[in-house]
Amino acid sequence: MAENLTSASWVECRVEDDSDVLYLTGVWRLANVAAIAGRLRELGLHARTRFVLDGSKLETLDTAAGFILLRHLADVGCTQAMVSARGFDARYQRLLELVHERMTTPPSAAHSGHQGLLQRVGATVLAVVRMLKMHVDFVGVVTLELLSLVRRPGRFRTKETVSQFEAVCIDAVPIVALVNFLIGVVIAYVLGVQAQRYGATLFVADGIALGICRELSPILSSVLVAGRSGAAFTAQIGTMKVEDEIDAISTLGLSPIQVLVIPRLVALMVALPLLVFVGDAAGIAGGLLVGNWQLDIAPQVFMDRVHAALELRHFVIGIAKAPVFAVVVAIIACGMGLQVSRDARSLGQNTTSTVVQCIVWVIILDAAFAVAFQRMRI
Amino acid sequence: MERVLSVESLVTRFGAQVVHDGVSFGVERGEVLALIGGSGSGKSVLLREIIGLVRPTAGRIELLGTDVWQSEPYAMDELRGHFGVLFQDGALFSSLTVAENVAVPFVEHTDLPRDLIAPLVGFKLALVGLPPDAGAKFPAQLSGGMRKRAALARALALEPDLLFLDEPTSGLDPVGAREFYRLLRALADSLGLTVFFLTHDLDMLVAIADRVIALAAGRVIADGPVAAVRKSDDPWLQEYFASRA
Ligand SMILES: Nc1ncnc2c1ncn2[C@@H]1O[C@H](COP(=O)(O)OP(=O)(O)OP(=O)(O)O)[C@@H](O)[C@H]1O
Ligand SMILES: [Mg+2]
Repeated sequence: MAENLTSASWVECRVEDDSDVLYLTGVWRLANVAAIAGRLRELGLHARTRFVLDGSKLETLDTAAGFILLRHLADVGCTQAMVSARGFDARYQRLLELVHERMTTPPSAAHSGHQGLLQRVGATVLAVVRMLKMHVDFVGVVTLELLSLVRRPGRFRTKETVSQFEAVCIDAVPIVALVNFLIGVVIAYVLGVQAQRYGATLFVADGIALGICRELSPILSSVLVAGRSGAAFTAQIGTMKVEDEIDAISTLGLSPIQVLVIPRLVALMVALPLLVFVGDAAGIAGGLLVGNWQLDIAPQVFMDRVHAALELRHFVIGIAKAPVFAVVVAIIACGMGLQVSRDARSLGQNTTSTVVQCIVWVIILDAAFAVAFQRMRI
Repeated sequence: MERVLSVESLVTRFGAQVVHDGVSFGVERGEVLALIGGSGSGKSVLLREIIGLVRPTAGRIELLGTDVWQSEPYAMDELRGHFGVLFQDGALFSSLTVAENVAVPFVEHTDLPRDLIAPLVGFKLALVGLPPDAGAKFPAQLSGGMRKRAALARALALEPDLLFLDEPTSGLDPVGAREFYRLLRALADSLGLTVFFLTHDLDMLVAIADRVIALAAGRVIADGPVAAVRKSDDPWLQEYFASRA
């Protein structure tokens, strides 16, 4: 664009008769718009006289440059009556007319608007409240659909439920086992180092059995399922929403809740206790391994200790929390999926939000359970 | 007359399927040209080959004096600033507002300051007939017709010489479609744009096309003004034009 720089003046202003004549020169194109705008400001035009635009020396003109010129004239207070054009190529004359005709609508803001801190906090609080309300509503809707299913059990989708079960349970076994096993190893190791000082290494088994079965395995398994299956639920249902498939399901006289949500809910409620059990076994195995290698506890001794320490109630509490967490994950994930609006952006946002909400709620509920069980002395 | 696009003996094959079997035509500057053909006749593929997205099996495509498939990547980048494309569904970025969508080409391809981009974006939106409040909306909040207009504003942002449109009126109601193609014609006349569009819309064809190219069985079966193509004795074309009440 070197040749454009030489015609640096862009516009020459001369007084002829009683009007200001603006001679436009050079290449009036988008690439030079910044320079043209600067030059126009430099001229310091005033709206007291008539303006004549002379296009006889113009090489080219595009809408961006034409717009900048006409907007500048409008900004300094020129009305249409005060501006006339001459010497333009017929094409550019038409272009200027089009620009003039269209530019009268005020330009819109290019940004979606930046919010102040207070505004953001307020908006976030409102969004959270709205989200909670939505989840509560959704629980109600799903309950009603479940009740209607009880009256007509034939409508239950066994096949879909089984295939969901495979996806959320069977496929998740390796990762759940691995994570719990490693946590068992880590905890046994850390506990063992402390316990060795008091010569109480055997009690590592107590710690492992209680910690893993009552708290860690339920939490870890639920968090993993939230990340794995919760995200998948939202993405699957959300994609169907984007593609209008949900509407198609309703139009075919089916209930999207019964077709999509209840199979996932049931599958997850069955799957999560099983996964927690797998986690229990894997965690204890991890502890047992560390006990054997690092702390000189024979596996048989370790297991005896586990049997003694792990009363049935601890194990049952751990397993019994799982269906509750499963309901939380399934309701949030499916609800967020159905809330997806018709664009790719909201699909991504809702999937992220599902994972975050599920994890937070699982941990909040677990804390509530811990306090409640303590009060009830179980 | 200056040739802005020429396609020479283009062949396209996907596996055993032959989509184009020697397609040749040229487009002059300022023409409004329609490409018609039945579903699956290879219109969209041809468009994607012209704009450098799909590589043809054989043949030559020259766009604004640059051989699309033989030239260096930087030449293609330079070329991209000179044509705009309106994809079938608009292909607006769903995470950006309409105004931000239109601002993308300005931000990426020019060094204009922000305080110039904002009014230019507003003007482009007005140019395609969008109301001022549309700029702050997200694509998902717009109707199909408004999305097309927004996409047109984005395609026109860098003042292209050539505009490619894939089925610009599909999904619009007849009134909206008419408004949209009249807008296109007005822009083409005032801006001296060359417009190349694919369509199934006979009304649009008759209303704004200077010239029609019909594609069937991988070949150009007709090429000329609407009135001439209409008189063609090809059975598909006769059927096509007869479908207009
Ligand atoms: N990437 C691809 N791989 C294999 N085949 C393809 C590919 N893209 C297109 N085709 C085939 O090429 C043919 C032409 O497709 P194209 O999309 O160009 O049709 P069209 O003329 O645009 O039809 P319509 O009017 O329905 O949009 C079709 O038969 C399609 O199956
Ligand atoms: Mg197509």
